[in-house]
Amino acid sequence: MERELVKLTVQGVMPDAVPNSDSQVVILQDESKAHTLPIWVGVAEGTAIRLAMEGVVPPRPLSHDLIRNLTEQLGLKISKVVVTDVKNNTYFASIHLNSKESELTVDSRPSDAIALALRTSSPIYVTQDVLDRLAPENVDPWLKMLGSKEFGGTA
Amino acid sequence: MLTQMHVRGLMFDPYTNAYIIILRDDSNTEMLPIWVGKPEASAISFAMEGVTTPRPMTHDLMKTVLDTADAKVISVVVTDLKENTYYARVHLLYEDSEYSIDARPSDAIALALRSKAPVFVNDDVIRKHSNEEMDRWLENLKPEDFGKSDA
Repeated sequence: MERELVKLTVQGVMPDAVPNSDSQVVILQDESKAHTLPIWVGVAEGTAIRLAMEGVVPPRPLSHDLIRNLTEQLGLKISKVVVTDVKNNTYFASIHLNSKESELTVDSRPSDAIALALRTSSPIYVTQDVLDRLAPENVDPWLKMLGSKEFGGTA
Repeated sequence: MLTQMHVRGLMFDPYTNAYIIILRDDSNTEMLPIWVGKPEASAISFAMEGVTTPRPMTHDLMKTVLDTADAKVISVVVTDLKENTYYARVHLLYEDSEYSIDARPSDAIALALRSKAPVFVNDDVIRKHSNEEMDRWLENLKPEDFGKSDA
């Protein structure tokens, strides 16, 4: 079954609203800004995403740079990443790669998938099904923060 | 020349707030400490202890991508030490060709442990390491350290 996909872009990485939290929140939006998807990630993954957004090239390859370099050298092209599901507040994603002969799909946390997509200029999608299941009360606080001074990302 | 080494332990360095991976050779004559960050240290400790997480962590993903493409990690090699930074390479076999990719030793070791691939260290690195260690020791030496009977 071909599921309907909505293209998203990363709007920013914000600190979690809960004080002293070990998490960060990656804010994704579709082009019309009708849908906002907040995804909680660890600090290391949040940093990996922020560095890619800011175009920072570290002196040594970080873990996601290494994955990009591995796939590039082997001639595997990342065609897209998709946020596929949400179960008990855990989001699931898949990374789609093209090799010479076939298309490969690899299960991933959304944080790794996004960190990799930004490094390879690959599009990020979410299934319509995941968007339909987003509870507005989880999203609204982040929408308010999008314009505030705490918002660390670049639009 | 390369020496095969094994991860013998992981320590926390409270002075630098970093973690140290301890590599040792089979005969326990050579030892190489490598400073790594917290996420890389936990990636290595999970692999050492055989911990599986509910969702794939970054280095699990790295391995799955390679497995799915049928690429095999042959070995990882710590190749160089320059200004306190260690350099490593990941050696891969893919479609009958060999590939060698630049990596930080922490990522290379985290991947090697998951792929059951051997870890080698270039003998130059072991030599350079002992020299840098000696330099540091000499730098910290004070005039009053000389001439002590218990020195």
